[in-house]
Amino acid sequence: MQFNWDLVVNSFPLLLVGAGVTIKITAMSVALGVIIGLFVGIARICHFKPLRFVAAVYVDFFRGTPLLVQIFLVYFALPVITGQRIDPYVAAVGACGINSGAYVAEIFRAGIQSIDEGQMEAGRSLGMTWVQTMRYIIVPQAFKRVIPPLGNEFIALLKDSSLVSVIGFEELTRRGQLIIAKTYGSLEIWISVAIVYLVMTLTISRFVAYLERRFATDDQH
Amino acid sequence: MINIEKLHKSFGSNEVLKGIDLDVKEKEVVAIIGPSGSGKSTLLRCMNYLEQPTSGMVSVDGIVLNEADINKVREEVGMVFQRFNLFPHMTVLQNIMLAPLKVRHADKAETEQTARQLLKRVGLADKADAWPNQLSGGQQQRVAIARALAMKPKVMLFDEPTSALDPEMVGEVLDVMRQLAESGMTMVVVTHEMGFAREVADRILFVDQGVILEQGTPEQVFDHPQQERTQTFLSKVL
Repeated sequence: MQFNWDLVVNSFPLLLVGAGVTIKITAMSVALGVIIGLFVGIARICHFKPLRFVAAVYVDFFRGTPLLVQIFLVYFALPVITGQRIDPYVAAVGACGINSGAYVAEIFRAGIQSIDEGQMEAGRSLGMTWVQTMRYIIVPQAFKRVIPPLGNEFIALLKDSSLVSVIGFEELTRRGQLIIAKTYGSLEIWISVAIVYLVMTLTISRFVAYLERRFATDDQH
Repeated sequence: MINIEKLHKSFGSNEVLKGIDLDVKEKEVVAIIGPSGSGKSTLLRCMNYLEQPTSGMVSVDGIVLNEADINKVREEVGMVFQRFNLFPHMTVLQNIMLAPLKVRHADKAETEQTARQLLKRVGLADKADAWPNQLSGGQQQRVAIARALAMKPKVMLFDEPTSALDPEMVGEVLDVMRQLAESGMTMVVVTHEMGFAREVADRILFVDQGVILEQGTPEQVFDHPQQERTQTFLSKVL
């Protein structure tokens, strides 16, 4: 067995381009996931039963089916219904974001429910509406508590974004595959790909740890 | 000011309030006493709809409480909780200013001025920029009173406001409440502080097993209780 260092060095720029794409779709999916997750999470505990039901179905469906299948559904099945091709980028971010939204919703729900009931009562007793109390009192406090689980979710999403390579989207994993197709350097390239993923996930987990410390000291809880 | 008729409240099959009739007049200070689990906190919480009555009617300042316009009524009814319930992610000043700004859409500068005056009134002028967890229990509860007063309520409800405090801090909170009573605020106070109730309240309600068993002036209830259960209770706490 021979390890071809030149191949690693030469293909590194291309892998970095792929890593850039991975970061981009992860960031977009995270943003989409957090927005969806916040609203679905709140819907899961609101007093309006139909909304609660819809939110529960959403969470069940997207947690209960594989992301890979969801990507196929968005990219291949949806166009059959709409009669329109879907951009791979939109499909990738859409599928990952919607999937992540289900997990984030559960994180937010748990975070919100962990806030002392007295906070809601205090807000309501001052004449604020349920929505106002959620917005100004409950959610800001819940946000701090969900930073660690949200961090885990982002790391999972970054890794899972490798699945969008199946629809030909040229993120890091797909780049690796393409380079291997030309050079047959499976060993070198897959090791390189793994290391690039590792660097990204470690960066995120360090950043989350930093945020956790910062918010922890901010109001001395 | 507060009018309650035939109020019943059940939690599941457990009937906590079994028909309460009560009239609290303007500027009256009513103290509710009674053993734990008697329903006195539930009664208080029905007065601003934190608990929904199972049946019966509660009205505040002529407005009958219902789900639809409860927020309007709550603007006029301040509440102070046993465990303070300050907002830990906001400074003292922000705690006080939040509701006037968001609910009344009051002017910011004016609201801040009012908030600082209220802090002065409860003896905490220098704590405006402190965080709640930097304060002692007694200080937190005084901030909570200021926060409720910032909405300029017509009635103040107190749910065992000193029960979670260390003994040496009870006095400072009761002092603020005494001042408030003297200023003519209508107050309903659930309390275990019999000395305070006797001194400050115009009327004492003794609640036991979901009914108002006995009521009257402090002298009547404390010195000449008519009911045997009132006598037993008072002999244990006085």
